[in-house]
Amino acid sequence: MTPNQNLTTKFRAALRNELPIWIQKGFISEETAKQISSTYQLDNLKAESSSLLSAVIFTIGGLLLGGGLISFVAPNWDAIPTPLKLALLFAALLSFHIIGHWLWHSKHWRRLGHALIFCGCLVFGANIGLVAQIFHISSNWYGGFGAWALGSLAMAWAIRSWIIGVLVLFTSFLWFVGIQNDNHDWPASLYPLILAFCLLPLAVMIRSRVLYAGTIVGIIAAACVLAGQHGSARQLLFTMAAGGMSMWTLGELHGALAWRVEFANITAGLGLGLLAATAYVWSFHWLWHPAAFGSMRSTWAIVFFVLSLAASLVLQRRGKQPQLWLTAGGVVVGGILCANSLLAWETVANGEFLFTVTTNLAALLLGAVLIGVSLVDERRPVFWLGTLYLVLLILSRFLEYETSLLVKSAAFLACGVGVIFAGISYETYLRRHDAPSEADNAGGGV
Amino acid sequence: MTKRASLIAFVAAVVIQALILVAVPARKVITRVTGKTVVLQVQPVDPYSVLSGYYVTLAFDISRLDAFPNARGSSEGFPYGSVVYAVIENGDDGIWKPVSIEKQLPANLPENRAVLAGRVHGGMIKYGIEEFYIPEAQREYIAEDLTKNQDKARVEVKVDGRGNAALERLVIEDRIYE
Repeated sequence: MTPNQNLTTKFRAALRNELPIWIQKGFISEETAKQISSTYQLDNLKAESSSLLSAVIFTIGGLLLGGGLISFVAPNWDAIPTPLKLALLFAALLSFHIIGHWLWHSKHWRRLGHALIFCGCLVFGANIGLVAQIFHISSNWYGGFGAWALGSLAMAWAIRSWIIGVLVLFTSFLWFVGIQNDNHDWPASLYPLILAFCLLPLAVMIRSRVLYAGTIVGIIAAACVLAGQHGSARQLLFTMAAGGMSMWTLGELHGALAWRVEFANITAGLGLGLLAATAYVWSFHWLWHPAAFGSMRSTWAIVFFVLSLAASLVLQRRGKQPQLWLTAGGVVVGGILCANSLLAWETVANGEFLFTVTTNLAALLLGAVLIGVSLVDERRPVFWLGTLYLVLLILSRFLEYETSLLVKSAAFLACGVGVIFAGISYETYLRRHDAPSEADNAGGGV
Repeated sequence: MTKRASLIAFVAAVVIQALILVAVPARKVITRVTGKTVVLQVQPVDPYSVLSGYYVTLAFDISRLDAFPNARGSSEGFPYGSVVYAVIENGDDGIWKPVSIEKQLPANLPENRAVLAGRVHGGMIKYGIEEFYIPEAQREYIAEDLTKNQDKARVEVKVDGRGNAALERLVIEDRIYE
């Protein structure tokens, strides 16, 4: 992962507070301060924070307004004739959208307008259910979610809205689960592609990290659902490992190519998390029982695997040391898990021990990669996550197998001492690492 | 995006949503307007699942695959999810009875016969008319009425020439629920 790609509001707010002090003490000139302020867009901070708050408040207000209207109409709903019911439904939909659009184009109420259009999309979903009720339509439950996703997708693209994009993600996923359970294999197997085609370009265009990472998670989750339903445990392992690997390398690629760098950390982080979770779950011996394995039909896992290999090749050319080593470590971990899932079919009857050991080694390597990331990027949270992951792994092994209390107690003690030692070593490393630059600064001052 | 292009995109999105809302009941409305009325006998309903949320779950004489003489003992010929066409005939008592089950839409049916398109779910056929939404205020009353007078419960359904069906009303003795 690449450090400082996402300049947080907290950092920028602190910078804005520091600038007058730096000018006063003569560290920087007023001209430099203006350049810094312009580069980090510090003048926009107040507007950004207030607009975020207002967006949340307006959305809640819009939902309450919609709820209030529904509660007002509901007691008399049965007595209202069908044509009037339909007129009310359309009027509610159009009111939210038209007022929302009008405010969206106004100078000061853009966020309120966006919130009202989002509420309009929620009203649209409720209207689908109410229309079905009025005409006694007993169709498949997921059909309504499909229609909701389609209408919301049009609106998400029309106003370039990330939150309506997220609504599309949720509703379309429910549609996918429905068609998949109802044995519509062909459209279900295409869903990850449909999702990528419909939402990823929007997320890239509007630079929405939530929508971008959420869509990739949705794609991998859908592939995992397909793998779990029609395949076997080893197919699920292949899909999760290849999915995690591809997501991580994709995140790294954003950083290495300096393209949409704001997507780099969240994508790489979630990919690494998925890989870590996969390695941990399959590190248990009982999951490698031959009965848990079956046929392999992993189109999407193969796609993820090929994509991550292609991304790794690009990273090898564009990446810089030592991030490159860390990426290679992640790819090796994913590769071990994928290889295990592929080999398990023929040889699992004799290879339970081998698969368990190699998966545990992969998980250990992943813990080391996490700690490596923390050292390269100087990130304490990643260091502690890596350390806790390793401790969890070791303790799980001692609790999984029948060992004496003495051995268990020794394991706990060793882990405790190891964590304290690792923490002290890390803090010492950071201090040593900072020392030369502090000395340089001191020298420069003299 | 220019303001004009943005407005066009927004209007297009609203029109798409409105068209979806119109499309959801369109087939049912057309069937109601153009279709032939048939009356189906309601099968006994499980008293513990009469009310599922805000609708009554119904089953009919023609819901069972083996109610059709040509499908008896050969249900394996009708795989799960396959589309079938149920031919029904107007009986002397005004209730429409099962005649035969077909895999293709039958043509040139006589006036006293009609066809309903359905999908096979195990040994059952679903026609898309199995859920009858009821007013909240009448939920308990209708559920009790249906449970006590199951053999007298009928539904009036409109059926068009392609086998599409639209549920119109539930009739229990002389009580009509719409």
